[in-house]
Amino acid sequence: MLEARNLQKSFGELVATDDITLEFGKEEGELVFIVGPNGAGKTTFINLLTGFLSPDEGSIVLDGDDITGMSANGRVNAGIARSFQVVKVFEEMTVRENLRTVVLTEQGKTWSLFSMADGHEEVESQVEELLEKFRLGDAADTVAEELPHGDRKLLDVAMSFGLDPDYLLLDEPTSGVSTREKEYVIETIVEVGRAEGVTTVTIEHDMDIVTEYADRVVALHQGTVHGVGPPTMLETDDELRRLLLGVGEDE
Amino acid sequence: MPERVDRDGTPAYRFLGVEVTRREAAFLVLGVVFLFVIPDIASLSDSLQLSVIHQGLLFGFAAVGLNLLLRHTKLTSFGHAAFFGTGAYATAVLARYAGVQSVGLLLLGAIAAATVMAAIIGVLSLRHTGLYFALLTLAFGQLLYAIALGQSALGGSDGLPIRPGPANQPLLFGTAFSPDVYQVLTYYLTVVVILIGLFVMYRITQSPFRNALDAIGQERTRARFIGLPVRRYVWAAFVISGIYGGVAGGLYAVVRQYVRPEGTLFFLRSGDILFMTILGGFRTLVGPLIGGVVLIFLQDVGQDITQYYEFLTGVVLLILVYGFPRGIVGSLRSGGIVNTRLGELRREPSVLSAWGRSAAQSLERKVTEAMTSLRIILFGVD
Repeated sequence: MLEARNLQKSFGELVATDDITLEFGKEEGELVFIVGPNGAGKTTFINLLTGFLSPDEGSIVLDGDDITGMSANGRVNAGIARSFQVVKVFEEMTVRENLRTVVLTEQGKTWSLFSMADGHEEVESQVEELLEKFRLGDAADTVAEELPHGDRKLLDVAMSFGLDPDYLLLDEPTSGVSTREKEYVIETIVEVGRAEGVTTVTIEHDMDIVTEYADRVVALHQGTVHGVGPPTMLETDDELRRLLLGVGEDE
Repeated sequence: MPERVDRDGTPAYRFLGVEVTRREAAFLVLGVVFLFVIPDIASLSDSLQLSVIHQGLLFGFAAVGLNLLLRHTKLTSFGHAAFFGTGAYATAVLARYAGVQSVGLLLLGAIAAATVMAAIIGVLSLRHTGLYFALLTLAFGQLLYAIALGQSALGGSDGLPIRPGPANQPLLFGTAFSPDVYQVLTYYLTVVVILIGLFVMYRITQSPFRNALDAIGQERTRARFIGLPVRRYVWAAFVISGIYGGVAGGLYAVVRQYVRPEGTLFFLRSGDILFMTILGGFRTLVGPLIGGVVLIFLQDVGQDITQYYEFLTGVVLLILVYGFPRGIVGSLRSGGIVNTRLGELRREPSVLSAWGRSAAQSLERKVTEAMTSLRIILFGVD
C-alpha cells in the first residue's frame, strides 16, 4: 500500500499541496483516477509521491516503510513508476531500443560493460512481449521522435510498465491525443494494468473516461482533497461538478 | 573464428563481439596495415614526420575517450587535457623521483594517476550539466596547469625530462634502444595500445552500459525515472574517458621523453582534443583518432607555411561546421554526405549543374538578405 500522510508543499506563497492524506492499493490492482480543475495540485501530488519533488511536511509510506527521503531512482526500484504529462522518451532511440533500455535497467544489467546490449535473451523476450501488449510491433524500428503522437504516448506508458511496477502513476496519459486514439490508449493501459495487478493512479480530465474505468475517484481542489469515492460521485456531488465543469445548480 | 551473421541483408562477420560487413572489414584491415607501415612511409618522405603522426594519434586517443562522454551523455568536457597532463606528469615524476625505468610500469603509473584524478574531478564537476559542467572542467584543468607551472618539483615552465636510470631513457623489454629504434618501437607500442583501446571502447558502446548513458544523454529526467542513478553512471563514464586521456598522456611522455605544462595541460590542449573529436566525427568510434592526426598534421604544416597557423585551424573549423557537421569519418561512411553526393554524380552527371544552380541561388539569397539587413541598419525600416 502506498500512503501519503499529511503531505504539504508550497512554492513561495502558493500552497500547491495542503495536508493531503490518501492511500492507494489497499485493493491490489485498483484503478484510481485523480480529477480536479487546473491548479488543483494534481501534478504536484504525483511529483511528491515519485520523488520528483520533496514535501515540506508530511511523509510517504510504502508497505509500512517511510520512503519520504528516498531518491527518485530508488523509488522506481522499490516499485513506483510514473509517466509525465509531456512525453519523455529517449528520442534518438527506436521504440525497441527504448524498451530494451528500460528492461535492461529494471533487470539491473546496465553495469555490464562488455556484454552485448541486444544479447540478453530474457530481456529481449520481455521487450517483444511489451511490443505486443502495447501494439507497437509495427513501429518497433521507428525512431521515437518520428512516431505519431498516440504511439509516443503508448511507448511512454509501455516503458513505465516495462519497469514491472507495483504502483504506476500516470500524469494525463491521454493529453494531446485525438478523441479516437484516446480510448485506445486508455483501454490498453487498463487492460495491461488489470492483467498484471498494477495499482494505477491516473490524472485525467476526460470525465467520460473516468466514469467508465475508475474503481475509485480522488477529487483535488486548491491543494486539498475535496472528496474520495466511486465514479458516481461525479454525478451526485454538485459542488464537484461545478468545480470541474463550471456547471452548477443555477444552470 | 569469425562467425557469419546477417545484418539487414548484408553479410557480416562477427568476431569477439565485433561485427563488421565486408566493406567495413576491408577498411579496418587497410587502416591497421596503414598504421603499421607509417614508419616506413615516413622514412621515405620529408613532409610526413613520424613524430607528428605519432603525436596526432596520442591526442586522438585522448579524444576517443572524451567522445564516450560527448557522444552518449552529451556532456562537453572542456578540460580533458587535465587527464592527458596527469598521465604525462605521473610518468615524469615516477621516472625522475622513483627511478622507474620500465615503460610498462610508467604507463601503469599514468593510468593510476589519471584514474584518481578523473574520479576526483568527476565527483566535483558532475554536480552540474551543460555550461557549468564545461566551465568546471575548464577550471580544474587550469588549476592543474597552474600547479605544474608553479611547482619547482614539477619543473615549472621548463617541465620535466623522462630520462631515468643509467641508460637515460625508459626501457622497453628491459632493454635500452638507440633513439631511432626507440622512436619506432614506441610508435608500435602506441599502435597496439590504440587497437586495444578501440576494441574496448567498441565493446563498451555495444553494451547495456551504453544504453544507460544514451538514456541519460537524451532524457535525463526520464533516465532517473526508469531507475538509473544518473550521477553514478555519468561519473563512471567520466572516469573511463579520463583513463583514455591518462594512457595517451603517459605514452606521450614516454615517447617525447619530456613534458611541459604548455604542451600537455594548457587549456588550448583541451580545446584541441574537443576539436579533434568533432573534426573526425563524434558519432563514430575512430573519427576522433583520425581527427587527432589531421589536426596535429595541419598545425604542423600550418606552422611551416604561415605564422598565423591558428587562422588555418579556424578556417578548417568553419568549413567543417557549415559543410560537414558529421566530421571526416561521419561524412565518408556509407550514407554520409560525401558518398551520397558521389553516388548522385555517378548516376546522373548533370546533377553538377543543378548543384551549381542551387549554390548560386542560395548565394544570391544570402546577398539579398545581407543587403536588406544593411539597408535596414543604415536607413531604418521605411
